[in-house]
Amino acid sequence: MGKQINVSLIGNPNTGKTSVFNQLTGLNQQVGNYPGITVEKKEGICKLPRGLKAHILDLPGTYSLNASSLDENVVIELLLNKNDRDFPDVAVVVSDVENLKRNLLLFTQIKDLEIPTILVINMADRMKRKGITLDIEVLEAKLNTKVALVSARKNTGIEELKEMILNYRQISTEPCLHASIMDPEYFERLRKAFPNQSLYKLWLVITQDVNFGNVNRHALHKETNFHIKSNSDLKRLQQKETILRYQFINGLLKEGLKIDLNSATDLRIRFDRILTHRVWGYVIFFMVLLVIFQAIYNWSSYPMDFIDTTFASLSEWTKNIMPAGPFTNLIAEGIIPGLGGIVIFIPQIAFLFFFISLLEESGYMSRVVFLMDRIMRRFGLSGKSVVPLVSGTACAIPAVMAARNIENWKERLITILVVPFTTCSARLPVYLIIIALVIPDESFLGFNLQGLTLMMLYLLGFGTAIVSAWILNKILKIKSKSYFVIEMPNYKLPMIKNVAINVVEKTKSFVLGAGKIILAISIILWVLASYGPGDNFNKAEEIVTSTYNVDAETHSNLEEEIAAYKLKHSYIGIIGRGIEPAVTPLGYDWKIGIAIVSSFAAREVFVGTLATIYSVGSDEEETIKNRMAAEVNPILGGPLFTFASGISLLLFYAFAMQCMSTLAIVKKETNTWKWPLLQLVIMSAFAYVVALIAFQLLK
Amino acid sequence: MDVLQNILVFITFLIAVGYVITKFVWKPAFLKSKKESEKGCGVSGCGCS
Repeated sequence: MGKQINVSLIGNPNTGKTSVFNQLTGLNQQVGNYPGITVEKKEGICKLPRGLKAHILDLPGTYSLNASSLDENVVIELLLNKNDRDFPDVAVVVSDVENLKRNLLLFTQIKDLEIPTILVINMADRMKRKGITLDIEVLEAKLNTKVALVSARKNTGIEELKEMILNYRQISTEPCLHASIMDPEYFERLRKAFPNQSLYKLWLVITQDVNFGNVNRHALHKETNFHIKSNSDLKRLQQKETILRYQFINGLLKEGLKIDLNSATDLRIRFDRILTHRVWGYVIFFMVLLVIFQAIYNWSSYPMDFIDTTFASLSEWTKNIMPAGPFTNLIAEGIIPGLGGIVIFIPQIAFLFFFISLLEESGYMSRVVFLMDRIMRRFGLSGKSVVPLVSGTACAIPAVMAARNIENWKERLITILVVPFTTCSARLPVYLIIIALVIPDESFLGFNLQGLTLMMLYLLGFGTAIVSAWILNKILKIKSKSYFVIEMPNYKLPMIKNVAINVVEKTKSFVLGAGKIILAISIILWVLASYGPGDNFNKAEEIVTSTYNVDAETHSNLEEEIAAYKLKHSYIGIIGRGIEPAVTPLGYDWKIGIAIVSSFAAREVFVGTLATIYSVGSDEEETIKNRMAAEVNPILGGPLFTFASGISLLLFYAFAMQCMSTLAIVKKETNTWKWPLLQLVIMSAFAYVVALIAFQLLK
Repeated sequence: MDVLQNILVFITFLIAVGYVITKFVWKPAFLKSKKESEKGCGVSGCGCS
């Protein structure tokens, strides 16, 4: 029996490694669990030419040798331990022809361990469809190894691979990247301390804390007094290593790999070619947004009208069946209108999440992120900032947390600081009610004007976020860059079940999350609006009656006058009039001022607050929208919600940093109050100035 | 009846104020959930919300 060659099959997950294993081993393969390790490894025997045999070990998939999980560690421990009975004579790195760049990172690391390493480029049958051409000679020359072009599915290239395994001794063990270039001085000291060891192996031991032979991380220090750098320095060197490797890979692929999308015939490629096109990609995305916002407006108007009327009737019904008194009024005028102010927006929010889920499920959202990455780079951010900015359309809190995947601190900080500009779902109720009041329900070029306005506000939020990022980038001087890698999923028909679950969960969390706060604030506001100090409040009826000419025709006007007088002299009225001078230049009255202050708890509270304040003392069954439309500007006369004051309010909400929870999460993520306070002051001041200019120009 | 309704309003108001304070200003130790105080966070604070 001839010598058996130990072969390790290594590669990124989903590169078709197991298919290659099956083709190599045929029916000889066996599956076995190794003692003490829960991760499954497969082993089998491959018959080679000239009567030789190879023992093939199919190791768990790993993206690199910087282990972050137990199964990845299994691979490294084997590759670092020459005494292991499975230590490979030759390593076969299986890569996917479509993701060669990413796969080559692992290849270069393994080659640097000075093990003979063969590169298998699998899924070669897809090359034509994807418009890919490879120059194998260039790849072999640059990588200093043998490259096998294989299609495990079509069983092509396997015999050539077997031949390469057989002749593994002829493969160079010269590393792709000399570890010492990461930090020449540090690695020179390491070489002197361990003259007989591979530098890259030592480096992996230092950074991974795994054992090989009789050398381990602690022994490095104990035995030779070698000074190991701090964890942050080691991490920085690891990043440098990755960047150097990708620089090498980029140079290699520039010569050895060509992708001609024009000659690609694959359906996915065809879609990608259009959807990620540098012009059409953005046009299509814009059209998709247009359709979504039009649909949100057109489809949700009926359920919204129904909810609005139902809550108005519920208030009236509550007043009729409960004994008259302040507690009944609290429920009918405070709690029910306050809750109505949030429930009414469920249809539109559900539709928004429905469309977002469709985009995510179909795979289109990844293309959007890819498209946005191009814009981000021009504004000094990496593509990784796109994910927080896109998720900011739901809520700023998870979006701020999503910035954790950005390694570069300054890029992360900028992302955190600009995320609150993106239009979160909490702003939606405010936008919707104001748009309904001040933008005519008419068509422009076939598109609903209200829908167009809403879309413009979303684009304004996103645009402001990236412009702010650009300014911050200039101020904060980012020098280093982080890299953005996104795996494009295949297009697929969205699963209705997944979409439904997503819509229900997101809508539920929106309603329940904000609902409790709105309920509490509605109660507080109602009490503050229904009670007041001194004679002006307690003797309001006498004061108003004595100054009013009472007759049958003006009786209802008298009631309204008394209610308005009481509200003006209630606790909330006193507070509101205190802040009125600040909001009058923006075109608002003190009631809107109170709503702005209370919406600091959560933006959605704005509508609930106005619904509660306008309901106090009102005996009529009226919808929130009609109550707001009927409000009169105390200074200018005429409707309070005009085009000028409406636009001013929309702009104020587009730019103001109002949500307390967002401030808290920014403080938590940045570990200081400095950034959230700066965010609060700058954003609020900017919102105020823009709203002021808008009102003064449009009034 | 009016007195009773005023008392109910007062109690509801106190509950609402208490909720807002514990939500945004200060939460006494006994109201903090065990789950919240004992949850494990990663080295860089990952997994903490």
